[in-house]
Amino acid sequence: MNPTQSDAPLLTVEGLSKTFGGIKAVQDIDFQVNRGEVFGLIGPNGAGKTTCFNLITGFYTPTTGRVTFQGQNITGQSPYRIARRGLVRSFQKTNVLKPLTVFENVLAGHYLSARQSLLATFFPTAPVRRAEQEVRDNAARLVKLLDLGARMDTPAYRLSCGELRLLEVAVALAARPTLLMLDEPAAGLNSQEAMRFGGILKRLRREQVPSIVIVEHNMSLVMDVSDRVMVMDFGRKLAEGTPAQVKNDPDVVEAYLGRARA
Amino acid sequence: MKFERNTLLALGLIALAFPLLVGNQYLLHIGIMVLLYAMLATSLNLIVGYVGEFSLGHTAFLGLGAYSAALLSLRLGLPAWATIPLAGVISALFGVLIGAITLRLRGPYFVIITLAFAEVLRLIANNWVDFTNGPMGLSGVAQPALLADASPLMAKRFYFYLALALTAVSLYLAYRFVYSNNGRAAVTVRENRFVAQSVGIRPFVYAMRAFVLGAFLAGLAGGFYAHYITFVGANVFGFAFMVSMIIMVLIGGKGTLIGPLLGALLVTLLTEYLRELQELRLSLFGLIVMAVVLFLPNGLMGFLNQRRERNHSDQADDSATGVQGGPA
Repeated sequence: MNPTQSDAPLLTVEGLSKTFGGIKAVQDIDFQVNRGEVFGLIGPNGAGKTTCFNLITGFYTPTTGRVTFQGQNITGQSPYRIARRGLVRSFQKTNVLKPLTVFENVLAGHYLSARQSLLATFFPTAPVRRAEQEVRDNAARLVKLLDLGARMDTPAYRLSCGELRLLEVAVALAARPTLLMLDEPAAGLNSQEAMRFGGILKRLRREQVPSIVIVEHNMSLVMDVSDRVMVMDFGRKLAEGTPAQVKNDPDVVEAYLGRARA
Repeated sequence: MKFERNTLLALGLIALAFPLLVGNQYLLHIGIMVLLYAMLATSLNLIVGYVGEFSLGHTAFLGLGAYSAALLSLRLGLPAWATIPLAGVISALFGVLIGAITLRLRGPYFVIITLAFAEVLRLIANNWVDFTNGPMGLSGVAQPALLADASPLMAKRFYFYLALALTAVSLYLAYRFVYSNNGRAAVTVRENRFVAQSVGIRPFVYAMRAFVLGAFLAGLAGGFYAHYITFVGANVFGFAFMVSMIIMVLIGGKGTLIGPLLGALLVTLLTEYLRELQELRLSLFGLIVMAVVLFLPNGLMGFLNQRRERNHSDQADDSATGVQGGPA
């Protein structure tokens, strides 16, 4: 997208595999995500998409393979270390801080930019207070950016499914990702909500985080927002290319619809 | 945040005036006990409310603080202004040690191991006669020198203000911790470890910080206890203190700063009021705790906060419906 930035891929995944006992959940996956790109990851249920996510973000340790982010090997590092490098993810099953308000959730997501020494915790100086104020302003801005402004002080457990999805994205954005990884952000949304979510995603891409990896079942959403798409089935990579290429790939059609009669 | 700060300041002002208005030694003693328990409940709340694990061994830190202050005073002749902070520091060091082991555990495992630590310390205090004087305990812990020829009433007033100062320090530290990035990180870990890690928080670190701060505050309270009661025995590690602290935190509301204070006030006064009932009183507390857990799972403060929130968000809902209903 931006020619001044380096051409090296942001995220490189090579030969990634994971076995659980005898089950090969992910087998020999290779792909790259470039800077400024939205990369879609699709496939039928159980294809290994979420496992892939967990392997890349450190929640699982790969059996074999290598994950490189911004030129550094991050294979098998702890999740919090990977997050500190700028690779932040959301979860498929809604994970938010339920009793806290929307604002407090997003504020908690600002952990990395609000870190301070223990001394400054107990005896805050003027710069610490200013930093704290900046973080609060930014949290409020993010809440509004995701159209949750009216729910600012509502506890998360009172939100609707669609609002929770947005909140999750806001919390992930609060950690200032270089690459944002969203695991089924539109799961449980109706088609109208999903369309609205697609609009928000495009806005985020312009204003917040240029590079996004998205796992999603909602085809029209993925095909609409992604620059490139990878299709997985039974833990393997089936196809990769632009949305138009992938849609017409016979293997992909077969995986989704079954074999066509000759 | 503002509500909590203002309430704390108001409570502090009332407490400041209390000894001037009351000339009765017995009432002052009860006031001092309320403050001592306020410190202890605040420190336990950091663990129950912010680490999110239930400690049954918090008396370990109370006891370590009390024994440290008593030994430093009796063996080395250190004055109270040195022994009480040192008691806190020693407790905090043990907090690092015990936390490093127990914070790797969750749920019932954490409960049992913390309880085991307190019990081991109690047995050591009872049996290492050369060091702790065994079951006879350590008596004659020095009172601060300036109380040498003060009247008993003046001495009580002095202790009240000392306890108040220590409570204020405890609450200041707890307040700063809770409302900082540290406190938010601890709450994030308590609520959802996955979210915490995905925004860059290392869970163990924040559980540890809250745990050690809790240990430090309990140690301070223990140091004060040693100098006020002037006697320290193995009972400081006992289950009776633990039960009182738990009841206070549960009744008042875990995870709030005012809750434990409220709990300390209510339970201490009720204990005194029900003194005639003797053993029956404990059964009564048991019933109260059961009722609280069943009907007010977040304690009195949780109940009040919920009511305030409900009023708030009902208004927010009304104003939000228009936005939510419209097409995107």
